[in-house]
Amino acid sequence: MSNTLRPYLACVRSSLTAALTLENFPSQVSERHNVAEIEAQSTPEVLLTPLLISRNASEQVLIEPSINSVRLSIKIKQADEIERILAHKFTRFLMMRAEAFVILRRVPVKGYDISFLVTNKNVEDMMKHKLVDFVIQFMEDVDRELSEAKLSLNARARIVAESYLSQFA
Amino acid sequence: MLQLEPNNRYLATTLPLLFAAPKPSSVDQAFVDFDSIRYHLWTPDPKNKAVLLLSMDVRCWSDLSQHGAMDLMRREYGDYLVQDDETEAEYSVTLKIHIDQLPAGEEERAEIVSKLSLLKRNALAAPFEKAFGIQKHLEANPRGEDDVVRKEDVMSVHYRPEEALYILPSSDRVTIVFSTIFKEETDRIFGKVFLQEFVDARRRPSCQTAPQVLYTNREPPLEIRDIPGLGAGLERGENVGYVTFVLFPRHFATPALAAESITQIQLFRDYLHYHIKCSKAYMHSRMRTRVAEFLKVLNRAKPDVAAGEGARKTASGRSFVRA
Repeated sequence: MSNTLRPYLACVRSSLTAALTLENFPSQVSERHNVAEIEAQSTPEVLLTPLLISRNASEQVLIEPSINSVRLSIKIKQADEIERILAHKFTRFLMMRAEAFVILRRVPVKGYDISFLVTNKNVEDMMKHKLVDFVIQFMEDVDRELSEAKLSLNARARIVAESYLSQFA
Repeated sequence: MLQLEPNNRYLATTLPLLFAAPKPSSVDQAFVDFDSIRYHLWTPDPKNKAVLLLSMDVRCWSDLSQHGAMDLMRREYGDYLVQDDETEAEYSVTLKIHIDQLPAGEEERAEIVSKLSLLKRNALAAPFEKAFGIQKHLEANPRGEDDVVRKEDVMSVHYRPEEALYILPSSDRVTIVFSTIFKEETDRIFGKVFLQEFVDARRRPSCQTAPQVLYTNREPPLEIRDIPGLGAGLERGENVGYVTFVLFPRHFATPALAAESITQIQLFRDYLHYHIKCSKAYMHSRMRTRVAEFLKVLNRAKPDVAAGEGARKTASGRSFVRA
């Protein structure tokens, strides 16, 4: 299974590095305003082609670039109910702290679990390769965190059941 | 804390203090226990502070007294139990303790304290003991071909507003069915994981002799579904779960074993929900540490703005800070 992970992440990394070539773009709709064009969608000519990178049907990354901002949406693998609940809790937890994360979007794009919004200002403040590193590491860590949480839940359940039932013997 | 304690911690710590005090003092405490049980511990007579009144209110007292709870109370607490008409208003059972008439020995006093703090456990034990008795009777005189559980034999105890427990004795076993409500969807899914482990635990060597556990979601299990009169009143729905314990005679062969089994079974529902809440709290703290780590990684992306670099100089010597 993990033989598709490395190419998947490499593809996301190179696509993201290419998409993050952002420049300042004053709004053509309102004077002296500067908006993230991918969110406002006010001038169609600066919106670039969205790119969908799929590992399989349940793990996808959508990159929507524009001239001054990029929206990155991730769909996390959720095989069963427990993973669904854990992923939902985790992403909600992160999104409530979106201000601290700067590049995180408070609401995910429809059909995805979590979204990032990177503007030209963010790219100026932070080093681009480190930013891409962060996103890639985020994707790996989320999967790992989910599987660890599921394992610990199962282990805990096993201990609870065993300690209760062994008292009857 | 893995296991819940069957005795009431507050009583177990307060009563020895009251008993050991050189001069009896007045006390008036109201406190609670699991499953909406209220206690009232007080000295009613200000002139005679050595008389202590302990009252307990059990929601399902009507169910319990139907199954012989008063007899059990009388058996355990004998002299301390007051008559029905003297029972405190809005409470189910009252015990009167004379502090000055207690036996002097340390051990005897400790035993009395532990007995009093097991008041809730003893009240709820009544239907179980009755069921064990019925089972032994059925084992000795088997009913024959139609060993079907009759409605009269089923004991139901509605110990919580929407949850109940049903006890069905038959000739070779006693079946106990818990109905439980999961108020949140997360609880329901966690509960499913936990209960699946309970069902599977029997495979493990340490639990070989443990009672068999079965679990159904939404629909009540077959054992109680078909009992006339009872089947219609059972809860059904997304967040209702039914857990069935099958106790075999070896679990209550001796009085000591029976008492242990009863104590354990009573606390099952609270034990389950307590551990579900604990694991939710654990998940929460895990997520918090993970988020802190992410923040650290993200902050690495921000380059350090060294003081010298921040302020730059032009060719003519003017310095400025790049915005």
